[in-house]
This record gives sequence, C-alpha cells and structure tokens, in this order.
Amino acid sequence: MAVYRRGYHRYRGRITGHWTRFMVLPRFAWRRLFRQRLVLLLMVVALIWPILCAVFIYLTNHAELLRGLPRDFQNFIEVNGNFFIVFMRVQAIFAIFLAALTGPGLIAPDLANNALPLYFSRPLTRSDYILARLLVLFGLLARITLIPGLLLFGLQTGMAGGWWFWANWTLGLGMVLGLSLWVLVVSMVALAGSAYVRWRIVAGAVVLAFFFILSGASVMINEIFRVTWAHAINPSWTIDRLWCAMLGVEPPEGPGIAACAVTMGVTILLLLLVLRRKLRPVEVVS
Amino acid sequence: MSAPAVVFDEVSKFYGEVLGVNRVTLHIPPGITSLVGPNGSGKTTLMNLMTGLIHPDRGSITMRGLSPRDPEHLMGITGYATQYDAAPRWATGFSFITTGLLLYGHSRAEAETKAWKALELLSLTDAAHRKVAAYSKGMRQRVRLAQAIAHEPELLVLDEPLNGLDPLVRAETIALFRSWAALGRHVILSSHVLQEVDVISDQVILIANGMIVAEGEIRNVREEIHEHPSQFIIRCRDASHIAALLFNEDHITEIKLNEDRMGMLVMTKDREQFSRALGRIAGEGHRIDSVIPADENVDALYEYLIGGSN
Repeated sequence: MAVYRRGYHRYRGRITGHWTRFMVLPRFAWRRLFRQRLVLLLMVVALIWPILCAVFIYLTNHAELLRGLPRDFQNFIEVNGNFFIVFMRVQAIFAIFLAALTGPGLIAPDLANNALPLYFSRPLTRSDYILARLLVLFGLLARITLIPGLLLFGLQTGMAGGWWFWANWTLGLGMVLGLSLWVLVVSMVALAGSAYVRWRIVAGAVVLAFFFILSGASVMINEIFRVTWAHAINPSWTIDRLWCAMLGVEPPEGPGIAACAVTMGVTILLLLLVLRRKLRPVEVVS
Repeated sequence: MSAPAVVFDEVSKFYGEVLGVNRVTLHIPPGITSLVGPNGSGKTTLMNLMTGLIHPDRGSITMRGLSPRDPEHLMGITGYATQYDAAPRWATGFSFITTGLLLYGHSRAEAETKAWKALELLSLTDAAHRKVAAYSKGMRQRVRLAQAIAHEPELLVLDEPLNGLDPLVRAETIALFRSWAALGRHVILSSHVLQEVDVISDQVILIANGMIVAEGEIRNVREEIHEHPSQFIIRCRDASHIAALLFNEDHITEIKLNEDRMGMLVMTKDREQFSRALGRIAGEGHRIDSVIPADENVDALYEYLIGGSN
C-alpha cells in the first residue's frame, strides 16, 4: 500500500452559478452556428418579409401617401389580427427551414461521437442538456419570428399611438404566445430528428418530412374520406387554428380549438419522451 | 480521520435482462486502482456507475462522501475520460478544454489558465491551437486525458487512459498518476495492458461476468489464491543441491532447473513454509543470490482467476 502525504486540497475558489454554467452550451453553439454562411443567408432572407411588413405599417400610418388609391384598398390595408397572422404564417415556414438546417448539428454529432458522457460527467443533468439545446434553437428561431414580430408591434404602436396599443394589446400577447409555441414545437421536432438520425443531412430531411408529409397526409385523408378532422394531424394547420383563436381571426373550417390544443400538447409530450429516451449518457442494451 | 473512499455496497445494475454488474461491494482507498477484466466484464459499467452516468438498480455508491445522484457536487471533484474519442473535430484542443472548464464553473480567465496547464502536463502546448481533426490518435488520446484532469479533480476515472500514447508520454502520464495518487487522490483506471497495470497500481480489482473476482493489493490477492502453487525464481550457485534439499519439503510441488544450473523455478503450495525452508537452507551455508516471485503480478492473477474460469 502506498503511503500518501494527503497533501491534496479540494478547490475552494469561486464557482459560477448553475445558470451561468448552463448558458455555456447555448453560447458556444450560437457562436458556431453564426459562423455558417448558409445559416446567415437563410436568416437574412427570412427577414425580408418582416421588412416588407414594416413598410406596410409605415404606409398605413401615413394616410397622405395613400391618397389617390381606391377607397376599398385604403380600407383593406389595416394593421390587425389578419396582418399579424399573415406575418406569422410566412415566418413559421422560415422557422421550419432554419430548424431543419441548424437542428441536426446540435445533437447528432454528440451521439455519433459518443460525446454525451463527456457532457454528463460535468455538473450538468440530462434535462440541462436538452434545455440548453432547445434554447439554442429557440434563441435562433426567435430572431426571425418573435423579435421581428415584437418590433413590428412596437413600430405600429409607436406610429399609431398609445390608443392603438390599449385597443390591440391582445394581438401582441397572442403573437408572442403563438410564435413561442410554434418555435418550441419546431425546435423539439428538430432535436428529436437529430437524436434519432445521426447523419445530419438525413436528420434535416426528417425534420422537413415531419411537417410536409403530415400536411400532405392530412389533406389526403380529408379528401378521401370527405372529412375535416384529419387537419388535427397537421401541426402547421393546428398551430394556425390556435393562432386564429389567439388573435381573434376567423378560423378555417376543421377541428375546434380544444382538439387542436390537445393535439399540440400530445405532440410536445411525445417529442419530449423521444428526447428523454434517446439522450442517455450511455448506450443501454435492451 | 479515515481517508475518503469510493464505496460500493451490494451494487447491481441490469440493462433489461442483461447483467451489467452484480452485487458489487468495494472499498477503494485513495491511490491508483486498476480495473482488470475481459471485454464485457463490467469495467465500463462500474466507471459509469461511479460517475453517475447510470444509476444502480440495487445497492448504494458513495464517492469520497458524495452520491453519484448529485452531479452538481460530484462532478466538481471528478474527472472522467471515457473510452471514446469524443472531442469535437472542429474545436481546437485549447477551446475544447476551456469550454469544459467553463462548464465546471470556472471563470474564463481561470479556465484558460487551467486549460493551458493541463495541455502543458500532457505535452500538447504546441498543438493547443490546432483543430482536433488535425490531431494524431495519440494527441487525441492526450486531449481526452487533459479534459479530465484540467479542473484538478480529486477523483479521476479513466477508461483505457494509456491506449495510443507513445512510450515517452506514457511514462510521463504514469508519473503524473503517481504524483496525484501520492497526494491522496483517487485514480481509478481500466487497462488491458496487464504489465502496465502491474507497474502502476497500488491495488487491482479483477472483474469477470459482472462480478468482482478479487480486490486488493496484488500481493495480497495472490496470497489468497491457494489452488495455484506460488512460483519463485531462485538464483544460486549450486542449484542442483538446493533443488534436492527443497524436494524434501512437502509443500514443494515442482522444480524446474535452469539449463545453466545457476537457478531454478520453484512451485510451492505454502509460501510461509517455503520461506522458512529457504532460510534453513541458507543457514546451512548454501549461497542464494536472489528469490523473486514469478507470479505475483496481474498477468498471473488474471490467468488464475479469470482466464481459468473461462
């Protein structure tokens, strides 16, 4: 038996807090993502529509510029629930593409390299890891959805005045909640795809397929059986239905708000289960 | 006050119906401890249990007084190098280790200082700012070790840490392990290179089929194996005569004389009686130059306890 001098002393210096340590993962991932040209390009393209929306807001608030245009058109261009729904629909599609491009690179390489034990042998839990990866996508997608949306809402408030805000604050709240929910779902789909398929390109395709195949399948079922309930399996339609309710816009024909809320809840729960099942620190033989 | 230990109490882990480890009870004091066993014997499962990456189905584990279910505290004092080459290819060695240290909660300045120190210890400073993708296998192995030691943990768990290292770095790394162990830290490693385990370890844990076969200092473990006669190499002048004297002893089972008649290999069932007999022979005026145990090593233990059982 060796004789030990017992000269070792445990580190007693200052340690940063849990959330500071937690934020290391998203910060590191964002830095990497913003170095990718394709990501930057897609983000720039995704901001064209918000800029056009901003021009629209400017025009509606400058009646003198609309003089000479038909009265019907002048009445048509108004910043209301429909305006924000259209803005959200366009940005929602960009969010899917951006998530499909960036999501697979967040988990698939860690699984392929057996790097999860490396993370979990730090003071990080499995929930921390999943939350950190979600935050990466949430933060990224918020830059093309929530933030431009809030800026547009702020721009309209600034131009129209305080009365507009007090009359329409529910639009802002509905938009924040609606977009947050969509960004959460898209992020989770991207992470689940990344956790299941270790090849990044295929994982990206899986993310796109999730949205577009379900959309196509719901249309097919509705057409074949002459029903409308199959819309509920289409996440894009379901979120659209929820947005309409949140922003007080005429909803499309199909399943009600309760059915859509339940479907969305179940989808999130299933995606969470997939992530918890796949993201284990060590490979488990079954 | 007793030294902080790694304690396993009746720990079992099953992966579904597959046995990981079964009813493992261990008390590992500070120092260098080697886990030895064939592939699939449960070495990595034990290491994963120690670091809390998996939890036991039965039993309890204490790592220097901390529970593996408390990663916040346990991982602050633990360094783990898995068997996988998991460093991201796009990161530089320096940024990989610095980021790891930030996750341990060190400030950026401190993380950079510690990362540099770890790279220095493993002779990687020249390649610190090169991408891991450009590293050789040995360098990737070193960066794997560097990330485990960078925060100066008191409990190091290393899965095959010496694989792929060149002889010089291997010797330096072993010296590093020794210096840590001498300070009262735990260095728990697994290795397939039995000769190396022999040289490094204060104690060994032999594991086969998920069960602990033996645990303790190599010599003590060897003394407990009664079914295999102990082997000694004796160097002496009149080997034939000494061999004849030894053959009169009941406990001697076999003697092989060297061709040069200057030594022999003796097998005995009783080490103490053998030692007394040698003393007597020397007392009678026969010159014995050296007596060296021939199977007091991990290689022999492995063969007796694990190899034989297969």
